[in-house]
Amino acid sequence: MSLAEKYPQEIQKIFAKYPPEQKRSAVMPLLYLAQREEGFITKGAMEEIAGMLGIKVTEVAEIVGFYTLYHDEKAGKYRMQVCTDLPCALRGADKFIEELCGNLGVKVGETTEDGLVTVEAVMCLAACDKAPMLQTQGSDGINYHENMTVDKTLELIEALKKSVA
Amino acid sequence: MRKQVRLTIDDRQITAPAGTLIVNAAKQIGIDIPVFCYHPKMEPVGMCRMCLVEVGRPIIDRNTGQPVLEDGQPKIQFGPKLETACTTPVSEGMVVRGMSEKAKAGQNEIVEFLLTSHPLDCPICDKGGECPLQNLTMEHGPGKSRFLYDEKFHLEKRVPLGDLIFLDRERCIQCARCIRFQDEIAGEPVIGFYNRGRATDIVTYTDPGFDSVFSGNTTDICPVGALTTSDFRFGARTWELKSTASVCGQCPVGCNIVFNTRREAKADGRIVIKRVMPRQNEQVNEIWLCDKGRFAYHYTENGARLSRPLVKKNGKLEASSWDEAAAIAGGKLRSADGEVVVLASGRLSNEDLFNLKSLADGLGGKALLYTQMGGGDLTARFGVGAGTNFGEMGAGTTILVAASDLYNEAPVWHLRVKGAAKRGATVIVANGRETKLDAFAKYVVRYAYGDEVETINGLQQKEKIGEAITSAENLVVLFGSDGLGLNGTSNLAAACAELVQGRAGKPNNGLIGVWPKANDQGAWEIGFRPTDDLSSELKGKTVYVVAADPAGDDPQLAAALKEAKFVIAQELFQTATADLADVVLPAQAYTERDGSFTSGERRAQRFYAAVPAFGESQADYAITALVADAAGVELADSAGQVFENLVVTVEAFAGLTYEILAETAEQWPVVGRGDMYYGGTTYENTRGLGAHLVGWGERGETASRPRVQEETELRPKEGQWLAVPVTKLYDQGLTVRSSKLLESHIGAATVTLHPEAAKRLGAGAGELVEISLNGTTAQVSVLLDETVSASVALLPRGMGLPISGPVVAGLKKV
Repeated sequence: MSLAEKYPQEIQKIFAKYPPEQKRSAVMPLLYLAQREEGFITKGAMEEIAGMLGIKVTEVAEIVGFYTLYHDEKAGKYRMQVCTDLPCALRGADKFIEELCGNLGVKVGETTEDGLVTVEAVMCLAACDKAPMLQTQGSDGINYHENMTVDKTLELIEALKKSVA
Repeated sequence: MRKQVRLTIDDRQITAPAGTLIVNAAKQIGIDIPVFCYHPKMEPVGMCRMCLVEVGRPIIDRNTGQPVLEDGQPKIQFGPKLETACTTPVSEGMVVRGMSEKAKAGQNEIVEFLLTSHPLDCPICDKGGECPLQNLTMEHGPGKSRFLYDEKFHLEKRVPLGDLIFLDRERCIQCARCIRFQDEIAGEPVIGFYNRGRATDIVTYTDPGFDSVFSGNTTDICPVGALTTSDFRFGARTWELKSTASVCGQCPVGCNIVFNTRREAKADGRIVIKRVMPRQNEQVNEIWLCDKGRFAYHYTENGARLSRPLVKKNGKLEASSWDEAAAIAGGKLRSADGEVVVLASGRLSNEDLFNLKSLADGLGGKALLYTQMGGGDLTARFGVGAGTNFGEMGAGTTILVAASDLYNEAPVWHLRVKGAAKRGATVIVANGRETKLDAFAKYVVRYAYGDEVETINGLQQKEKIGEAITSAENLVVLFGSDGLGLNGTSNLAAACAELVQGRAGKPNNGLIGVWPKANDQGAWEIGFRPTDDLSSELKGKTVYVVAADPAGDDPQLAAALKEAKFVIAQELFQTATADLADVVLPAQAYTERDGSFTSGERRAQRFYAAVPAFGESQADYAITALVADAAGVELADSAGQVFENLVVTVEAFAGLTYEILAETAEQWPVVGRGDMYYGGTTYENTRGLGAHLVGWGERGETASRPRVQEETELRPKEGQWLAVPVTKLYDQGLTVRSSKLLESHIGAATVTLHPEAAKRLGAGAGELVEISLNGTTAQVSVLLDETVSASVALLPRGMGLPISGPVVAGLKKV
């Protein structure tokens, strides 16, 4: 089902924000809409968006490639993005992610067997003072979880599992 | 004129127009500031940082507004950091140091930085020997790496972006020249950056990949070996190649090219063409080429070419000698008693056509042009004046493109007209369907196929468009053959000529025919004329067909040729026409001989022999001289002599000599061997920029008002369709289908319909329908275009269906 069929009103709302001759500016909100579907952006969705905006599909893809919050590969329902930059590492983020992965039985970048969570190591999320920290990215948006421990994170995952079920 | 500013670069004092970038101001006085991402044809971006220089500016006293003096000289303040010469415009009193230790250190560090993720695989890289990165590494590189070899960054080395262009990811230095070319110059942003940082990758998401006919140019301006063509990839080392100047023979633009050749073991020791490169001519093609021009040359090397004269004996063509074949052909022409038809196409050079015309005149026969496009008599009179240059057109110029799909008919003109639009020229596109140029036009006029003349006649009455045409400082009208045949184009040309008739002869003003062949303009100038009833002209005559395949194009013409008295075919290949001939004469490809073409802008340009002749083939003009000799007509048999005879006979060529055509002048930007880092690997023009034919105004003729002929309009009945011919860049024409590389681009025959019309027919996109026209029935697949009218069916020319002009056709679902 195409985006236009599935989200006619949302698309209309997005387009209303931009002058018609600058409709290509709508590319980013449309990509977020497309990502809501499966947690990543398919080539088909890029083509549809390119068609809506009158630009080349390669131009849409450039945006997807440049911004790290757009994904082009399938992952778990939630991406757990742990900051492992230097200040976080000094506060134990590297050890935290290692233990978290050990508990979940995955490596960094992999998805848990039930398809719920993908653990990712990312660059600075601007919360150095509350490390170890992570953000979850899912269909409900992006949420910060600060001053985390492995136990707290496992509880969070349980809660996520319940909310999905 | 822009304000001039004085500045000093590397201790040399110069003046340059305000706004000039430092890198260009330096280049103009011969100072090389190294660059990778900067290209003089594109907007500066300052991405690679290679052009770092020290920039100092005079200190200005805030109270007086005057420069602060020190020992009588303005005191110069240098910035704390180096600046990029490619993004910084010059200013009054500026002092630039590009050679200082600080600047050199900055440049050297950038090279070292680039090399950390570059494989330095020059020994196996196609760019080796003509690579800006290689050259600048020799000059600025550290000599020894400070990095660990085992930690070298590696990426994929063979990524096909399309079937013509390959990407080597680890060689790429992310200068974005290719991406910017496709966006800014070609207007087709079909490649782009994906990801960022070290993961930055060049990608294409179109289907087919890298879907642009200008893709080859990106390999010329790539400053490393990241982009290579599938044609030249691992083909030769660049320093082994010889280069011969030539002119592209695929369309009337007349792009200047170079054939790079080499003696090759794989080809049994023959000298073969390894690649086609653009040759700079800022007035014609600048430094660009379309992919057809770059890759279609392979037809000249196809092993199926005719190598020996053939003579029909007992109903079968048998190998013969030149003496015998010429004697038979000449004898038949002489004894035909004036009942002779010379049928030739604009694929031939001026020299060939002049000899053929002289032969026809000498025998009292007719010289007919094999084409479905008329109006050449009008372009000969109202053509653009000497000095015309699309590159100079901008605000104040109006360009009307009528019934032409320039992107397919003459791609480099599409690019040039688009460039003029960007500089402020008013582009008006009038066509029966959407073309790629519409996106860059100020006004788009859509008409129903059949209303071309009416539409053009009515343009001046339209408020804004009329104003743009009548009050334009300069007006160029390009007319093509989109949806039209011989009559339609003749009438269209007359209507277009009316718009420019008061202006013709002036530079950047006049009429241009977007001809199907490279030298159609030359053929018209020399006196060849098409006929609207070729079949009856051929029947019963002694016919000399040169560089044309009427029998292969149209079954009716094949039938007419069978009824001819005697047929002589002069060709590269054993065509359907050659099959019917009594004598077949093998001609040289234009890569094997000297000659000249006349472009659609009436510019005569020379080309030179690049490779030895195939088999026993001879140049067309020489064959004609041989045959003429046997027929009792004396003709010159060297290209130079023929051209000398041409200029004294045909007034439009008066005053021209081969020496004049070979003259060159300084051009900007500077390109060529030592300047590859700057303009790319395009060749410098050392063998001639060509020269304009004499205009009618200069000849003192008065222009008579062109007349539009009445035409009976085709009106399809219920259930019928109006089939109109359109041009497809990669068709099954002899010079394209014989090039293996382009096979996948040709595809099968198609018909383009309005989506609603297709629905009524019950056929969707890609499905097969049966079309019957001109006594032929064939299956073609459906393409949809919502900009054509409902009862119109677009059929591409040269795809196996005999369509010479608009015709009523039947369509049904298979």
